[in-house]
Amino acid sequence: MKNKKIDNKKKKSHLPTRLNLLFFVVFLLFSGLVLRLGVVQIVQGKEFKRQVEMTDVESVNFSVPRGEMYDNDYTKIVYNVPQKAITYTPPKHPQPKDLLKVAKDLAPYIQMPEEDIKKVRERDLKDIWLLENDNGDELVTKEEKEKYKDKEIYQLKLDRVTEEHTKTIDKNVAAIYGKIYNATALTPTIIKNEGVTDMEYAMISENLGDLPGVDVTTDWQRAYTYDDTFKGILGSVKPGLPEEKVDYYKAKGYSLNDRVGYTYLESYLEDILQGTKTKVRTVTNKQGEVVEQEIVSEGKSGKDVVLTIDMEFQAKVEQIIKEEILNAIPYPNNNYLNKAFAVVLNPKTGEVLSMAGKQYDEKERTWSDFASGTFTAAFEPGSVVKGATVLMGYQDGAIYPGTVLRDEVMFLPGGNTIRSAGRSMGPINDIKALERSSNVYMAKIVYAMAGDTYVPRKSMNWNYLNLVEKMRSYYAQFGLGTTTGIGFDNEAIGVQNDPDNPGKLLYFSFGQFDTYTTLQLAQYVATIANDGYRMKPMLVKEIREPNPEDDELGPIIEEFSPTVLNRVDVKKDWLERVQRGFYQVVNGSQGTARNYFKNVPVTVAGKTGTAESYVWDEKLRKGVKTYNINFVGYAPYDDPEIAFAIVVPNVYNSGGPSLPYNISARIGERVVEAYYETKEEKQNQNNDANGEGQEETEDNENNDANGDTVTDNNEATRQEVEDGE
Amino acid sequence: MEDEKKDVDRFDWTLAFILFLFLVVSLIAISSAQTHGQYAGNFVIQQVVWYGVGAFIIAVAMLFEPDQYKKLSWILYGFGIFILVFLHFAPESIAEPRNGAKSWFTIPKVGTIQPSEFMKIFLILALSRVISDHHQNYKLKTLKTEFWLLGKLILTTLPPLGMIMLQPDLGTGLVIIAIAAGMMLVSGITWKIIVPVFSVIMSVGAAIILIMIYFPEWVESFIPQYQLARIYSWLDPYSYSSHEGYQLVTSLQAIGSGEIFGKGYMDKEVYVSDRHTDFIFSVIGEEFGFIGASIVICIFFLLIYHLIKVALDANSPFDSYVCAGIIAMTTFHVFQNVGMTIQLLPITGIPLPFISYGGSSLMGNMLAMGIVFSIKFYHKKFMFSTNTED
Repeated sequence: MKNKKIDNKKKKSHLPTRLNLLFFVVFLLFSGLVLRLGVVQIVQGKEFKRQVEMTDVESVNFSVPRGEMYDNDYTKIVYNVPQKAITYTPPKHPQPKDLLKVAKDLAPYIQMPEEDIKKVRERDLKDIWLLENDNGDELVTKEEKEKYKDKEIYQLKLDRVTEEHTKTIDKNVAAIYGKIYNATALTPTIIKNEGVTDMEYAMISENLGDLPGVDVTTDWQRAYTYDDTFKGILGSVKPGLPEEKVDYYKAKGYSLNDRVGYTYLESYLEDILQGTKTKVRTVTNKQGEVVEQEIVSEGKSGKDVVLTIDMEFQAKVEQIIKEEILNAIPYPNNNYLNKAFAVVLNPKTGEVLSMAGKQYDEKERTWSDFASGTFTAAFEPGSVVKGATVLMGYQDGAIYPGTVLRDEVMFLPGGNTIRSAGRSMGPINDIKALERSSNVYMAKIVYAMAGDTYVPRKSMNWNYLNLVEKMRSYYAQFGLGTTTGIGFDNEAIGVQNDPDNPGKLLYFSFGQFDTYTTLQLAQYVATIANDGYRMKPMLVKEIREPNPEDDELGPIIEEFSPTVLNRVDVKKDWLERVQRGFYQVVNGSQGTARNYFKNVPVTVAGKTGTAESYVWDEKLRKGVKTYNINFVGYAPYDDPEIAFAIVVPNVYNSGGPSLPYNISARIGERVVEAYYETKEEKQNQNNDANGEGQEETEDNENNDANGDTVTDNNEATRQEVEDGE
Repeated sequence: MEDEKKDVDRFDWTLAFILFLFLVVSLIAISSAQTHGQYAGNFVIQQVVWYGVGAFIIAVAMLFEPDQYKKLSWILYGFGIFILVFLHFAPESIAEPRNGAKSWFTIPKVGTIQPSEFMKIFLILALSRVISDHHQNYKLKTLKTEFWLLGKLILTTLPPLGMIMLQPDLGTGLVIIAIAAGMMLVSGITWKIIVPVFSVIMSVGAAIILIMIYFPEWVESFIPQYQLARIYSWLDPYSYSSHEGYQLVTSLQAIGSGEIFGKGYMDKEVYVSDRHTDFIFSVIGEEFGFIGASIVICIFFLLIYHLIKVALDANSPFDSYVCAGIIAMTTFHVFQNVGMTIQLLPITGIPLPFISYGGSSLMGNMLAMGIVFSIKFYHKKFMFSTNTED
């Protein structure tokens, strides 16, 4: 017991001190808590309160003006016209009732366009009626309310709202309501931008205070210098993201109602034309009302692009196509002809100078632009490909320049015959074969490639599936049956079927098997004109900084230089023989196009081509055999400036007289004529302009004409440097 | 009649009143916390039930005298360790891991039980026993005996600490360490040992934190990614986007925007996750402001003050040590829990004692209070005797 007492005392000696110390530590810790609480709640309290009450929303404001497009001599062809617009920015949590009030307040000031009013459906009117009438409470009985779910009750109410009810609702209000109902919170949405009158604009500007969320601003719209010319390729711009690309564009920061390029150039150049949007930070309070808006980053207009197209020339080409189709239709048996295509390239650079396709609706007597058909629609080319076939023959060692083969009627096993148009030509060489368009010469090249010689009706034991692939790879060097490099996603490369017998390869050699697009044919003839260098077709020449002052172009950001896709693997003199053959087609005494290109100021080389094609006749309910009349060519013969392909499908049907002239060669002739006419006009204009301008042009032309000038300059510089030393 | 009156006098009414205050605070806070409509059940009623069960536990705990706890301490400690080991190896059907930690037994129809909540109390008892036994055995204090006491305390602490860190449950692990540290302080070990040991531990801890901040690549292989994330989201919750970072930001916004007077009961605006459990303090801070939050902290301080008084009055050193352990435990819980809601400490999943919703935590704390009640209840008898002896 005593021990215990001592023990206790001993412990007591340290325990109270230590316990008090513990208590002191606790006191310190708790004081720390209270101190920190004071900092958070008293010192920083205001800031946290602000944070809680305000929500920052980074929203993207209006898009900046879209980049504009110029043609190859810097004429503005696609541009923006400003137009007045009335917008509405909904609060963070828009309530239908509030939105309807805005619509009603706004209605006296603006009249919505007819098409928007037409879009108002009966259902929309019913929704509005219900909103206005206590949610239509009196339309349903108490029992029904208990019996049905909310959704069903609303449907019941909708059913019971009659036209008697809705007829008093102003359609104008409904149209405005429809616009603002679909608006995204905090994002300005256009209510009306077409045909906003000065009166409307002024009235709303004056009453902005009474119209929360409503604003007047300047919007823009696309305009076209040449109206519908080339519009198919220029493409379209529409508000609202295309459905299949919503995710793609949203990831890039677009909002749902943004305007984007929908087709062809507008879509293809979207990233360049779009520009950077003005970013606006919107701060809202708890009620979702906008407290402040400030511009975070000023947007940048989209960049301008300069195209390679010559719009004046393009307009002429389109006109020629239209006229020639209208000329040809009245001829007998020509009731399936309704479209034609033309592509004109600069063979040396691949620049697309014109790309035209027109389709005629005979019933409606209207034209639609089908320029995209030059690379989306493929047709059997016929004999125009023979240049490639002859070069293939040389490359494969099947023939040599000057090889003579006999043009005769060929009897294939199975009873088919192959012959050239007209009477058999007898022994002919390669140039003659091109001039007179011998099918038999081409077919015999294929025989030689197969390691076989033609014997009438001898069966053809060829590895023809391999051979057809080999032929295709030769043709592909010219762009035939492959992508041309134009860059559009929906470019067609043509139909490439497996042949079911070796005989098909013979037809293939003169263009009656695979199908090609007009652009492919143009690239093919350009490759021959350009000494075997296949150039990538270019539609865009330059990208330029936008210039707010409209008169001048902004500085160049990027200039595209011509791209060689590949070089056809042939000797120069082989190519020259084919070029010679093409020359003979137009200029030779027996040339298939000798009656054309008489009126043009330069020497033209080219190749005609006719292929059978079938068209489905809806009335007869059967396929009708028609002909594709095609032409490829280039000019001038010795120093080509242009290469072109003309495709006119379904020209006349068999079983009657054919069209008494070659429609494609005629179109080709007029296209070449138009090209030089345009060129001359421009030169005259420049000459007329002023002396200085004239000099400049001449200088430029010198530089362009030959590289010698450049070399000379270099030498001169070098000389100077040497002198300096 | 006299005996009854005596019993009434012996009962610790002050402590009961403090607990009643906690009940009121808890019910107010929980009832408001659940109004976001985020939970299916009504936690207020359940918390009342838990308090009822807690009262029952206190009643049962008061049946035992402190001496009996001393005798039972090793058995309870062994039992606690056994349960923790069993939990570790238990099939997932009865011990389903939550948030990656296997800390709970799932009992059908009752709910879940967290054994570590009880282990804390058993550890306090065991450590108290170690200290009092030691002082009984070694009357003469030398540096050697003091080291030996320290060693024993550490050895006793390590098994439960290891089992809890295995779950893994860093929060409760830290509580265990806090208990051990608090009891070392009161155990009477000389400053010559305590000061160096505590300084070393604190500098190592501080060094680890600093390394994690400035040279994370040094420790990335030793420290799990989520622990690093915890530190980073504590230091810069606005730019470190993680669940915890967001939770901290919302908690700060809630408490901060409460300002001095608060927004009033049920008038909170900010949504903080885990609001009825670990982040219950954000409700108090937001709705009752600096004043309300300080009052709640004062109630805790009152509790600690009361416990210190009980410890000082206690006639057996064992009782004092138990009180000290409970003080250390409660203090750490409050400091860590409140601290994490106001960015004073990183977020760890520990509840605010008596206030947060949750059965196990409340049971554990009530058991601790039950022991305090018992100390106080059986105290006066001895006090008379000591008084007479003195």
